[in-house]
Amino acid sequence: MNFLKSRYLTYLLIGVVLASLPFLNQMGVIRSATVTTFGFIVFYAIAALGLNVLLGYSGLISLGTAGFMGLAAYLTTHFTGEWHLHFFASLLLSVLIPTVIGIVVGLVSLRLEGMYLAIATLAVAEVSRQIFIEIWSWSSLRPPAVLLLQGLALDRDGMYLFIVGLLVVLMMLTDNFIHSPVGRALLTMRASEAAAQAMGINLFKYKLMAFGIATAYAAISGVLYAHFIRAVDPSPWTLLLSLQILAVIVIGGFRTITGPIFGSFIVFGVPPLILNQLPVIGDIPGLAFIFNGALIIIVILFYPRGLVYMGQDLKKLIKRKEVKSQ
Amino acid sequence: MSTFFQLIFSGLETGSIFALATLGIIIIFRTSRATNFAQGVMGMFNAFVATTLLITYSLPAWLAAVIGMLSAFVTGIVIDLLIIRRAKKANIVSKQIITFGIILVLLGVAPMMFGSVPLSFPRFIDTGAIDLMGASLTYNGLLNILMGLGMMGILFYFLQYTKWGLAVRVTASNEQTARLMGVPTSLVTMGAWAIAAALGTLSALMLAPAINVNVAMMENVQVNALIAGVLGGFQTFHGPVIAAYLIALARNLILFYVSDSWGEPLLLMLILLFIVMRPNGLIGKKIVKKV
Repeated sequence: MNFLKSRYLTYLLIGVVLASLPFLNQMGVIRSATVTTFGFIVFYAIAALGLNVLLGYSGLISLGTAGFMGLAAYLTTHFTGEWHLHFFASLLLSVLIPTVIGIVVGLVSLRLEGMYLAIATLAVAEVSRQIFIEIWSWSSLRPPAVLLLQGLALDRDGMYLFIVGLLVVLMMLTDNFIHSPVGRALLTMRASEAAAQAMGINLFKYKLMAFGIATAYAAISGVLYAHFIRAVDPSPWTLLLSLQILAVIVIGGFRTITGPIFGSFIVFGVPPLILNQLPVIGDIPGLAFIFNGALIIIVILFYPRGLVYMGQDLKKLIKRKEVKSQ
Repeated sequence: MSTFFQLIFSGLETGSIFALATLGIIIIFRTSRATNFAQGVMGMFNAFVATTLLITYSLPAWLAAVIGMLSAFVTGIVIDLLIIRRAKKANIVSKQIITFGIILVLLGVAPMMFGSVPLSFPRFIDTGAIDLMGASLTYNGLLNILMGLGMMGILFYFLQYTKWGLAVRVTASNEQTARLMGVPTSLVTMGAWAIAAALGTLSALMLAPAINVNVAMMENVQVNALIAGVLGGFQTFHGPVIAAYLIALARNLILFYVSDSWGEPLLLMLILLFIVMRPNGLIGKKIVKKV
C-alpha cells in the first residue's frame, strides 16, 4: 500500500492540478488561452512519455515521432469526419494502424545502430509527410468535436479534461510497465547489452516492444492533437517537431515518468505563457525561440540529469545548510 | 537524350549543394561525436549576413559569399567555444539536442537582425549558357558544380595529405588516444565546427538564387544531408559525399521519368531499403563493438 501511496498519488495529484485549470479559467483567474496552451503541453508530454521508454531504456533514438503523430491525426480526422465512426473506435484504429506500421518499420530497421536508426526513422517520417501532402494537399482539414455519447459533445475544456485524464492513466500504465519483468529486462539492456544477452534477454524483442510503445504513444498524441486543435494540415509534422519532443525528454529527465511534463512545459509552455506576456520583450519577434534554445542548452550543460530532479536536489541543499548551521 | 543530360546537370548542381552540407555534418560527427542538426541553420544565418552586406554595400556576389563564409567560420568557432566544448561530458543524445538548441537560437536571432522578409541573392554569374550534349548548362550552374567538386577536392587533399588533416583523422578515429599523442583535439574540433559552418554557408548561397534567403531555406537540404550521411555511412568522409550526389541525381531522374508527385517518397523508400540491406552504408566500414 505504501508503494501505491507514493507514486500513484503523485500522478493523480499532477492530474488534479492540471484538471483544475479550466475551473480557474471560469473563475477568471487565468485566461482561456492558458488552458489551450496547457492542452498542448499535455498531449506533447504523452508523446514524450512513450519516446522516453524507447530512448531512456533502450538508448535508441527515433526521429519518426512527428510522422507517426501526423499519420494518427489524419487517420482520426478521416475516420470521424468521413466515416462517422465513434471517437473511441477511431482512437483505437488510429493508434493501431501507426503502431503496426511502426512495428514493421522496427522489424526491418532495428538492426541499425544509433544515428543510423534515428535517420532511418526520419526518412520514414519524411515519406509519410510527403504522402499527406500528396493525398490531402496543403489544405487544412477540420476534425469534428469528440462525441463521447450520443449528444454529449466535448467542448475545448471538456477535451482538455479528457486529455489530462488520459495522461494520468498513461503515466500509471507506463509506471507499471517499467516495474514489470519487461521493464526490468529493458533496464538490464540499458546497463549492458552484452550482460543482458548473456542472461538470455532477447534484445531485439525488447527493443521492438519499446519501439512499439513509443509509436503508440505518439499516435495517441496525434489523435488528441487533431481533436483538441481541430485543424490538421501537413506543416507541423517536420524534423523540428520530432526534435522538440526529444528536447522535452532531455530537459525533463531520462527514464522518468513525470519528467516529460516538466520538459513539455519548458519547450511548449514557457514561450507562449511567459515570454509573450512580458511587456516590450514579448513584442520582439523570435525572442521566444532564442529563450527556448538557450534554455535547452543551459539545462543540458548545467543540469544534465533533467529538471525533474530539481526538487530532490533542492531538498539536499536545504538539508546541507541545516547541518552547517547546527 | 538532351532532357536526360539536362536532368543530370541540374542533379549535379543540387548534388553539390547537398554534398557541401553533408561534408559539414560528417566532419562534425567524426570529431565531436554529435549529429549536427544545426548544419542547415548555420548556413542560413550566414547566408543572411552575406545577403545583407551585399544589399547595403552593393558588393559583388563573390565578395559577399567570401565574407559570409568568413563570418560562418567565426560562428562555428563561437559555437564551439561557448557550447560544444563545455558539453564534452554530455551523452550523445544530449549533444544532439544541444545542436537543436542552436537551431532555435539562430532561428530567433535571424529575423531579429535581418528582418522577416525573404531577401534575394543573385547568381554568381548572371547570364550565359553553354550547349553540352544537346542540353544547356548555365555558366552559373557549371560554376556551382565546379565549386562543389573543387571544394571537395581541396578538403580531401587537406584531410589526406597535410599534418592538420592527419590530426583530424586521428581525432576522428579515437579522441582519447589522439590527445595522448599530443594532438590538440579541442583545436581540431573547433576547426571542424568552423569549416562545417563555412561549407553550410556556401551551400546555402548556391541554393539562394533559386529560393531566396529565408529562415526555412535549408530545411530540405538538412534532411537530405542527414540521409546522405546514413546512405554513405558515417564511418568515412567520402562515402556520404558520393551518396549526396547520388541522391540528388536519382531524385531528378525519378521525379521526371517515374512520377513527379510520388517520386520523392519512392526515392526515400528505396534509400531505406538499401540502408536496411547494407546497414553500414555505401562504403561504410563495419563498426566493431567492444564489450
